[in-house]
Amino acid sequence: MFCLETYLQESEDYDVLISRAGFKECARVIDENAPEVIHVKPGEKILGARIIGIPPVSVGINEEKGTILFPYTKPCYGTAVVEIPVEAEEIAKIRKLNIN
Amino acid sequence: MKKALILLGCPESPSQTPLAVYVTYKLKKMGYDVTTASTPSAMKLLEVGDPEGYYIKNKIDIESCIDKLDKGAFDLLIGFIHRDAAVSYFVTFNSILDTTSIAIIFEKDVEKLEEFQNMVSESTDATIVSARAFHNPTPLRVRFDKTIKKLIESGEI
Repeated sequence: MFCLETYLQESEDYDVLISRAGFKECARVIDENAPEVIHVKPGEKILGARIIGIPPVSVGINEEKGTILFPYTKPCYGTAVVEIPVEAEEIAKIRKLNIN
Repeated sequence: MKKALILLGCPESPSQTPLAVYVTYKLKKMGYDVTTASTPSAMKLLEVGDPEGYYIKNKIDIESCIDKLDKGAFDLLIGFIHRDAAVSYFVTFNSILDTTSIAIIFEKDVEKLEEFQNMVSESTDATIVSARAFHNPTPLRVRFDKTIKKLIESGEI
């Protein structure tokens, strides 16, 4: 089973667009950097991990690159925006979570 | 037995640890089975202050527990908020549990305090207990007691 925490610790195949930031700032970074943005309820599971945030939580999709952008919050370090590669079928699953 | 979950944020504010013990004491007296979710560093402070686990019995990691959490797992959620990340965690736990919630919001900076209050009130139906506080937990303790009394009288808890 995919574990986001382990992936971020062990893989180098991801980008951090902003880190140690506030949630609203991270939402703006996602809105400005993703060709497609969907909004999900906080607590929804994406890649097996619950999304932490203030509703509606922006999740970016870049279908051409095959990546998603999402907020990643640590209690003592604030929120970061992480862009990681995902399979096309995962993008389809994420689109179904859209509350717009 | 009713179940309560206390969320602790980053432990850099001195008010958080004694208040967490106080809130646990208060809830236990009301008959709640209390679980505390926190970072390892916040838990270490509680464990030193309560070495025999008289108050803090059920302990879980705030990051790993959220994946297993489901609606209705707790009857009451109480979150300590003095950082932006703590707002995000509280709102998310509130959204998943969909239960009665109290947000204890404290900050030295008045603008940040108001910002955190607005973020919580715009995203949840939680009862807010807030005060400009850092070292001194007394204003928060007094307001928490008043809030608990009101919630009991109104039958919400």
